Amino acid sequence: MDGTLPVALPMTAINENRDAELVERYLTGDTTAFDEIMVRYERQIYRICYRFVENREDAMDLAQDVFIKAFEHLATFRRESSLKTWLYRIAMNHCINHVKKHSQEFVEVTEYTGSTHSSAQTQLEDREQRDEFRRMVKLLPPKQKAILELRINDQLSYEEIAKMSGRSISTIKASVFFALEKLRKLVKEPVIKKAR
Amino acid sequence: MLGHLKADDFINLMEGTEQPAAQRIHLDSCARCREIWESLKPLYAGVTSLDAEIPEPDWVEFRSSVRDELLSRSVQRQTVVRRWTGWAIRPAVAWALSLLLAVGIPTGAFVWHLQKENRASEALRARQPLPGSEMIEGTEKAVFDDMIELSDSEQAQFQQLLEAAQSGTHAYND
Repeated sequence: MDGTLPVALPMTAINENRDAELVERYLTGDTTAFDEIMVRYERQIYRICYRFVENREDAMDLAQDVFIKAFEHLATFRRESSLKTWLYRIAMNHCINHVKKHSQEFVEVTEYTGSTHSSAQTQLEDREQRDEFRRMVKLLPPKQKAILELRINDQLSYEEIAKMSGRSISTIKASVFFALEKLRKLVKEPVIKKAR
Repeated sequence: MLGHLKADDFINLMEGTEQPAAQRIHLDSCARCREIWESLKPLYAGVTSLDAEIPEPDWVEFRSSVRDELLSRSVQRQTVVRRWTGWAIRPAVAWALSLLLAVGIPTGAFVWHLQKENRASEALRARQPLPGSEMIEGTEKAVFDDMIELSDSEQAQFQQLLEAAQSGTHAYND
């Protein structure tokens, strides 16, 4: 005993090692690895999908597609990024493609009544406002929306998002800024818009 | 416009990242930047609040549906692979069969034809006796028949003639 304490590995490194081990186990035919990977990432992937489609059934279908794609191509996962980043990238691309394919759908935006003074309003009004705000977020370009949500809700670091999307960190920061700017304009000047 | 905060700076401010003092001072003194900053803050919070309402599915059911789909795809893929392998093998079998038929039929026909010819010639040979033996047999038969048809005295005379011929003398000469 030399009296020194072992240096703890950072959490991300521990997670990445665990992911690499799970991938190896899955590829060698260990079926329990499937469940472990699912348990680790199903919730996060489902939530990404939900934000794009905003209904449970479609989100589940999208998330299922993402996992099927991922498991079928797990052998090609080159470990240049973490499994989490890889799965997120598949999810983002799949959801963006899905949104582009279904962009013909009717989108209506009603007047946004503001959110900065919600303390005096009833719960119902809050909910209505949130629904309106959600519709506005939905109007953002898919990539911008995806980056905004990954940063704010998934709390992915800018480094992770940059790696995932193949852009620089400052481009990602600018995307978040411009997404918020666009939302600000929509809040200021609500439009009733039919998507093409 | 020079000196206004950039997109990166606003994001860093919103996320509480350490900012240079100069930027803080600018934000306090610039109404335009201040307005942008004030209007973006609630939006940032608004996006966060949206995430709280996502309904959770039944994860066990979800997991099993992914597992089932993966399994069924894997079975489908194996079937397709088998089908394609079958198609890959089939032309080879077809070629081998064609070759066998192409070589086998003429060869068989040729061999059969040869055997048929042999059999026919053998039968012909069996039916037609050799010219020499036919002559001898005919002669003998004719002689024998003649002898049968001759009267006793004629037979005796003929016998004498034959013996004389064999011994090289002529009965008439005697």
